[in-house]
Order: sequence, then C-alpha cells, then structure tokens
Amino acid sequence: MPEFSSQPFVDIARRLDVRGGHSWLAVLSPPTDSAVALDALQTELRSFLQVPTRVLSLETLTFEELLEAMQQPSDDVVVLAAGADLAPDTWSSLDLMRSALERTGPTVLWMAPDAVARLTEFAPNIRSFIGPSIYIAGPDGGLMGEAERQHRLKELEQHYGLSSEEIVRRAESKELPPEPHFVEWLILLGRGDLV
Amino acid sequence: MRAFNPTAPPGDVIEAGLVCEDLQRFLFRNLAGRADLEPGSQQLLVGGVGSGKTTELLLAERWLREQGHVLPLYIDISAETDLSSVNSGSLLASFGLHLAQRLPADLQAPTPNPDRSERLKKAYNKVREYAYGKEEILSSHLADWDRMMQVSMEAFRHVFTFQPQVVRNIPGKLKPKPPIPALSRDIQEIRAPLDEFLAIAREILEDIVVIFDGLDRLLDPTKFWSVAHQDLRLLREIKVSVVATAPISVLFGTSLGQSVADHFDRVHHLPVIAFDPENGSLRSVLEKRHAHELMSRTEADTICRYSGGVLRDLISLARDAAEEAYISDHHSVTAADVDKVVRQLGVGYLRGLGPEAIKILFDLENSGSFRVDQPANVELLLTRRVLEYSSTDFRAHPALLSVMPRPEAKGA
Repeated sequence: MPEFSSQPFVDIARRLDVRGGHSWLAVLSPPTDSAVALDALQTELRSFLQVPTRVLSLETLTFEELLEAMQQPSDDVVVLAAGADLAPDTWSSLDLMRSALERTGPTVLWMAPDAVARLTEFAPNIRSFIGPSIYIAGPDGGLMGEAERQHRLKELEQHYGLSSEEIVRRAESKELPPEPHFVEWLILLGRGDLV
Repeated sequence: MRAFNPTAPPGDVIEAGLVCEDLQRFLFRNLAGRADLEPGSQQLLVGGVGSGKTTELLLAERWLREQGHVLPLYIDISAETDLSSVNSGSLLASFGLHLAQRLPADLQAPTPNPDRSERLKKAYNKVREYAYGKEEILSSHLADWDRMMQVSMEAFRHVFTFQPQVVRNIPGKLKPKPPIPALSRDIQEIRAPLDEFLAIAREILEDIVVIFDGLDRLLDPTKFWSVAHQDLRLLREIKVSVVATAPISVLFGTSLGQSVADHFDRVHHLPVIAFDPENGSLRSVLEKRHAHELMSRTEADTICRYSGGVLRDLISLARDAAEEAYISDHHSVTAADVDKVVRQLGVGYLRGLGPEAIKILFDLENSGSFRVDQPANVELLLTRRVLEYSSTDFRAHPALLSVMPRPEAKGA
C-alpha cells in the first residue's frame, strides 16, 4: 500500500514558514509516544516560526469553544489534535464549519494515521484544504536521526559558506539575524538557548 | 510562491488579480445578470469541492455592486452558524442581519430622517431577536405558571425562584437550542421586519440580491432542503433574488436531489475542467500566478493533468511542488518534485477505499461505466475520487489512479 511522505518536524516548520498565512497541513502521529511527539512538534514550530503555538483537542471542544479558540487569536499556530476514534459525526460537523475555522495563522491537523480515511470520507472540504500536504511524523517522532542532522548541517554550511562554530559565535555575540534558517541551525546544534 | 495559496480567502485572491475571470466562461455574469433582471429569481450553483464556487459568487457580488442600483449581500452561512444542528429560518435570520448592517451605510440620505431611523431600529431589534433569541418576561404572577409549564422545560435557561419574575429563554435561529419553534410562526415573525427593511432599501435602491455560500457543505440533499426550503420560499415571495450553492448530490443520485433542483429557476453546474494541452485553460490558472518563474511548461502540464481539473487541487499541487523544490534545495521545480506531490494527493484519496470502491473506479477507467444513481457512487463524487466533466462524462481522479493498486489478474 502506498504511503505518505515522512518529514522531520523541522521541515514541517520550514514548509509553514514559506507558505505564510492561511495555510493548512496534516501530520500523522507516530503509533507510540504520540503525546511526546506532539510536544516536540509544538516546540519545533514555536522555535522555528517564532510565534506562539497552541494545541486544541477536537474531541473535547464544542462548536462555540473551538470557534472562539481558533479566532482568539487568529494569527498564531494552532495544532488541532484528532484521535483515531474521532467520530464520523464530529468530522462531518467540522467539515460543515470549515469556513468558520479559517484564520490568518497556520493550522496543523495532528491525526492518528487511521483517521485519514475518515477525514476523506466525512470531511471532504477540510481534506480539500489540506490537499497533498499530509505527512508522517518523521523518524523518532519527527526528531531527526544523527545522520539526517549531520546532512542538514552540511547543507546549511554549504549554502551560507559559514561553519557551525561561526554561527554559534555570531549568535552569542548577538550578530545573527533571527532568520528561520539560523534558528533551525542553532536548534540542530543543540543551542536552542541562543534563539 | 505565496500566490499559490489554495486556502487564501478568495476575496483576497480576486483583489490581488490572481483569478482568471473567463475560466468558467464568465459564469458569474450569467448568475448576476439574471438575479438583477428577474427580482425574486432563484438560482443554484452546483459544483464539487474545490471547483471555484466561492470565487464565482464573489465575482458575481462585485459585478452587481458595480451596477449601482443593486444591493448584493454575500453570506457564507456556514461561517455564521453550526449547520449540523440548525433548521429552517437560519437563512432568513442571516439575511435580515446582513441587510440591517448594510442599510445605514447604503442609505446615505442627504438629510436626516428620524422616522426612517426609528423604523430601522425597530425592525433590527426584531431580526436580532429572531436570530439570536431573547429572554422574555412571562409574568410576575403565580397564575402564569400554567402558561410557563406549557413550554418545554428545555427552553428554560433560568428560573429565578427567589425573584417574582419568570424568564423564558426563546432560542434564536443562529444559535439553535431545542425546542425549535414551529416553522409557520417563525416565518410570520421574520416577515414583517424584513418587509420593513426592504421597503426602506427600495426607496433608494431597486433590488436586493442575496448570495448564500456554504450550503454545498450539506452533502445530503435532504439536509440541504430542510435548511433551505421554507426560507427560499419566503425570499421568493418578497421578491429578493437568490443565488445559492448546493451540493453536487443535488444533480446526481437520489430522486430527492432532482426534485430539489426543480424548485429553482436555473441550476448552474460548475464542472471540473478537462486538461487539454492545446486549449491551455488550466495552464492559464498557473500562469496567472507566475508559475513560469518556478517551473517549466512540462512540469506545469503534468500538474494540470494530475489535478484532474479540480482548481484547488491544481493550486495545491503547484504550491506543494514548489515547496518540495525549496525543501530539497532545487533551483526550480523538477519532475521528481511533481511526482512526489501527485503521489501525496493520490494516497490521500486512496485511504479508506475498500475493494468494492476500487473495482468501481477500475470499471470506470476501463469501460467508462458509472451508475450515478447508486449511493456508493455519489459518495465517490462527493469525496472527489470521481470527477464530473459533464453530466455524462465521469472519470476517476488521475492522482488517485496513479497510486491505486491494480487488481491481480485471475489465475496469477
């Protein structure tokens, strides 16, 4: 059976960054340690995009509560968490209210892999908003493996013609602009404290 | 790349000049022209998810506004209320509120008119109560308990036992709470203030046109009709032209859908646009957004083909392909980037399809046979796995076909 593409959380953040406002995207949670992975995603989005990130549970909020939470504020990042057992009726209700869910900030649908079938079946309008942007949380629940991390660091060093040591030095002396790539770079070096 | 945002508000996209207004052969002018020329006319705009209905409606609204003598009201009803629990009366409530909000701005009378202001105020209060409900003081006398008890206990929000007043919560139409008031009483309640608004509006403007978007979210024609039927009947009586969206199941499938369509003066179908490399209408959508700066014509054509002609899928594939190139540090979109996003889209459509549905799709692909009166097949249309190019031309979504596992040959 064909599968969705797997993406580390940093690439999810890069995608949202390049898209700008009004963007939708879905991430499929790993089968184990889903809560830990969701926490890691939230941290990654907050650090990379430099905006507050909230997680809202689709299981517990009413129509009015969800509406209010989505719009106040409407420009931060919202992660809508949908479990595998989210009922078809709830998906249908969400689909009906899609216009009311539209906001300026990015919306990430955090779903159990089994939930995609229900999304397509009972919420075709939301699925249409997400389009091809459904990704499996990358290795280690979206956290990069060591080889991937080294590869990405090398890419950044080549692209900017700078070494990682130089990036740390500039960040420590407050000479580094708060660009998303530099934020990513510092996080990959384990120096999120300098962001 | 931000020109390729498939979820940007359509109004912003129109404003930015990124829409090909002739893509649907100026359908919006047909919609708007008829609504303008025939007061009280009712038109349906039917199309699948992501076919560009909202864009056409907003273009129609703009065209009407430009005529000068029409007050067009665009209302996305799904953004205003929870359609899963609302019943008839909500369209009228929403129409009344929008009209009330627009009148003071549109009636720029050269001299103050206290009488008109008072009439507007009274009518507005009634519409507002109708929409959002009210608390009605029933009585301060014990004898009125009898009257109170006739009302369902669910309708009571507060009963102040330590105060002489008894307060009944009367539900409105936009925040429905059970029990829903009887329909005939509802219609009578809203008609008088609407007539008042319209009389005032028509002192200066000739016509009112209301455009209801979002009703297509009610995928089942039965639900669509239960929300729309009585409201549309009153709007026709008070000579307000209506343009409304409807689900594609109104055109295909159940006999109810067909009878719903019969209630309208005109039903416009917004089909998907077949990819034709010679014609290039889909390519023009990408070109309008400067796709040539991101990808070659070959890649653009591949995206057009695999979008199946669904406009939102087209924009999504182009955006995601460009994003894929960015993530992979490619200088422009490559064939591999396009393949990857087509596969992503296809896998999304594939999930949840059982063997029966897959067989239907292969039969459609191989022989062109598709029974549109079968509920399972209508489901495939509603979820965009099957696309309608005309009322008789159906095809499986090409992105889905590209990832669908082929059935094993017999005896293999």
